[in-house]
Amino acid sequence: MSRVAWIYICLLPALIVMAIVNMTQGAVPIPISELIPILAGKGDSHFEYILMNYRLPRLLLAVMVGGGLALAGVILQNIIRNPLASPDVIGLSKGSGLAAVIVIVLLPNAPAGMIPWAAFLGASSVGMLLFIISLKLHVRPAALALSGMALGTAAGAGIQYITVKHMDDANTALLWLAGSLWGRTWEHVLMLLPWIAVLVPTILFMSRHMDLLNLGDDIAEGLGIPVTKTRVILLGIAVCLTGASVAVSGTIGFVGLVAPHMARRIVGSLHRQLLPISAMLGALLVMTADMIGRVVIVPREIPVGIVTAIIGAPYFLYLLRRSIKNK
Amino acid sequence: MSVIESASSRWNTYIVTVIICVALLIAGILLSVSIGVIDVSWKEVTRALLGKAQTKNELVISTIRVPRTLMAALVGAGLAVAGAMMQAVTRNPFASPQILGINSGAALIVVLSIVLYPSMSPTSLVLAAFAGASMGGALVFALGYTNDERAPVNLALAGIAVSMFLTAMTEGFIVLYDNQTQSILFWLAGAVHGGTWSDVYTLMPWMGIGFFISILLSRNLTILSLGDDIAKGIGLKVHRIRLFVACAVIVLAGSAVSVAGPIGFVGLIVPHIVRYIIGVDYRFVIPLSALFGAILLIYADLISRFIAFPFESPVGIVTAAIGAPFFLYLILKRRRAS
Repeated sequence: MSRVAWIYICLLPALIVMAIVNMTQGAVPIPISELIPILAGKGDSHFEYILMNYRLPRLLLAVMVGGGLALAGVILQNIIRNPLASPDVIGLSKGSGLAAVIVIVLLPNAPAGMIPWAAFLGASSVGMLLFIISLKLHVRPAALALSGMALGTAAGAGIQYITVKHMDDANTALLWLAGSLWGRTWEHVLMLLPWIAVLVPTILFMSRHMDLLNLGDDIAEGLGIPVTKTRVILLGIAVCLTGASVAVSGTIGFVGLVAPHMARRIVGSLHRQLLPISAMLGALLVMTADMIGRVVIVPREIPVGIVTAIIGAPYFLYLLRRSIKNK
Repeated sequence: MSVIESASSRWNTYIVTVIICVALLIAGILLSVSIGVIDVSWKEVTRALLGKAQTKNELVISTIRVPRTLMAALVGAGLAVAGAMMQAVTRNPFASPQILGINSGAALIVVLSIVLYPSMSPTSLVLAAFAGASMGGALVFALGYTNDERAPVNLALAGIAVSMFLTAMTEGFIVLYDNQTQSILFWLAGAVHGGTWSDVYTLMPWMGIGFFISILLSRNLTILSLGDDIAKGIGLKVHRIRLFVACAVIVLAGSAVSVAGPIGFVGLIVPHIVRYIIGVDYRFVIPLSALFGAILLIYADLISRFIAFPFESPVGIVTAAIGAPFFLYLILKRRRAS
């Protein structure tokens, strides 16, 4: 059997095991033996309530958000040709977080479906600015990452302002400052699901285009790929994935950076494999981080974004250190 | 132009700038003590400043607004001087207490101390902040320092990643011990509005020490900013000076963070503006940075009172709104220059 098949054989059970652990662990542990009866609709009603109303939507969100952010990271690293690119490093996450928070606070009566749209607007404003910067000024990759961080810092200050002013509840404030899945419900699942359902197949379909872009603009053009148009479409997809994820979970950091790199080490840089493996690793990462945040100190919760930052930031520094040494 | 002429014209610029700054500073202080949620008359301001506070309004001025203003001035000056010294020693335009992880390191240890030992004295809190500041800065240099033309960007990237890491830990501790979350979250955004006389007294000696060291070092800083080789050639003990600078930076930035939270961008912006006006002679840059930093934070604090009047907004948000675009400008300007 091929190496790639083995990777799937290892990753899929890992995802399933983590999903089961995720459903059973929390402030109220649910015995594994109860899981199947509950899912079949014949379980203990107390456990069933917790599982169906809190844990299951949260689990689904963790999978979708993790996968979405990881895919956005792969796309951004591909089109910006920068190993340090990811939705959070280049400021897209904070941009969409700011827009989402503004809608939630200033337009409390707006329908929930509006939040993702606002989040895109925020992410695409940041994306547009960076696009102009990179097009006009031909900045080095590292400087572009730094520019994105500067934009992210500005948006982050905006989020900080709104949260300390308007949110009495620490969990809600930290949701937007750090990224959290606390208190997310089926409503949020339904908000995110259509986006994931449309965008993920689209991006998988475009994996060959992304491979060709990796070869360089001239070769890709020669092979009949409209380079600029493809890049803009890819950027659009990345912005949408980021916006939709951030709209439900806040600005979870480092997933979009770490998952693609881990995937690249495992399967190499062919996008047909890189994309699904990254998405799976991203989902695994967010699920694990959410579970850790929930069980460290019961009944308190550490927001998932804090856990991913504590895992992800050292990895980022390791990447930076390595890229410095290779120069 | 001969050397003597240029030196004397620099003195002229310096004196003019100092006069303008002092005027702006005094105007800022007067505005800061007289404008706010409670309307006061100039007569009340005068009486309060002369120490004859009797009415409620006069007491508001002398016990709330005056210490707050002084704290803003001290914190702004401290962060700006710390930034100026860091930029001179590292020759890195992005160097500043916030970007190189010093602020977030200090913030982490301060939050940790507050949640674990709520009864800690302000002085021990300052010392804790020093420990955190040194830790954050050392971490960034250990991980991000390179010796080539890309060093500034690499160091800044490492600094921001370390800051994100430390901030995540800080937020984690806040969640675990959420007995005073709201006030800590506010403090984390950078705030001077709760400043009291005891904060000012806590801050004063440390700021004094920091400024004193920085003035003593200012001549050496100029030479160091030209390059290590030149400095060594002249016979400067580069490592020893770096060590002194590090201590001064930690004292200035650490004490500022311990009372006012990790206020960003002051240490980044001010030295650039000052060098633009007066050049790279740090005998002038250091005192002017102190003045400009104080002015910047006092006016930022004034603005923060009106963003959502009568709600007090954290002053760190105003400095971020001004500072982040400036940071972007620095990044892009560097690109064009090279």
